[in-house]
Amino acid sequence: MLMIRAIIRPEKTAKVMKALFEAGYVAVTRIPVVGRGKQRGLKVGDITYDELPKEMLMIVVKDEDKDFAVTTIIESARTGEKGAFGDGKIFIVPVDEAYTISRATKEL
Amino acid sequence: MNLIIAIIRIDKMNDTKQALSDVDLPSFMAIGNVFGRGKGTYDAKVLKGVSEDRPEAISQLGPEPRLRPHRMIQLVVPKRKTELAVNTIIEANRTKTPGDGKIFVLPCIDAIRIRTGEQGDIVLD
Repeated sequence: MLMIRAIIRPEKTAKVMKALFEAGYVAVTRIPVVGRGKQRGLKVGDITYDELPKEMLMIVVKDEDKDFAVTTIIESARTGEKGAFGDGKIFIVPVDEAYTISRATKEL
Repeated sequence: MNLIIAIIRIDKMNDTKQALSDVDLPSFMAIGNVFGRGKGTYDAKVLKGVSEDRPEAISQLGPEPRLRPHRMIQLVVPKRKTELAVNTIIEANRTKTPGDGKIFVLPCIDAIRIRTGEQGDIVLD
């Protein structure tokens, strides 16, 4: 199993969630986060904004579903055709075990 | 060592904290308010409408499931305590109804105590 952590623009969240739902990844967790990227935040004149608000989406998928889920997120979260700075990042983390609390079973 | 991520109900937060400190795992990190949806595409209001014999409630189902507020906690535990931590969280949170949450166990490579610079399992005990 793999955990996909996608950090995306807050205004794109609804679109990405809809795309994931239609692609069959119903279970998602959304976490509001702040952060900066390689561009060292936003510079407006002398002022630097380096804590930009983003949303982190957390999905756990089977190994073979990774590429499809990642493509779904990238296609729906990108700004315009070529994308723009600040569209976000996707990180993939291995998951050893997953438990469902209500059934106390070891499954996804 | 393992990183345990648990997504649980809001009203079970205190029970979980108490249960974890009872089994000597007092340190964890609360991520706070998170929103999520699970595999169930039901809506609580619609279920109520159906149980009260009002089938027109089904027409109010949205195209997507709603996001519900949850709490997320993360804790890093040594390998030998992973099973204990998972069972404790399950016992404290289980109401046997869908929506109780999920627990994920991820591998964690190293832990470092900032105060002394020590590394490894000794940091977690």
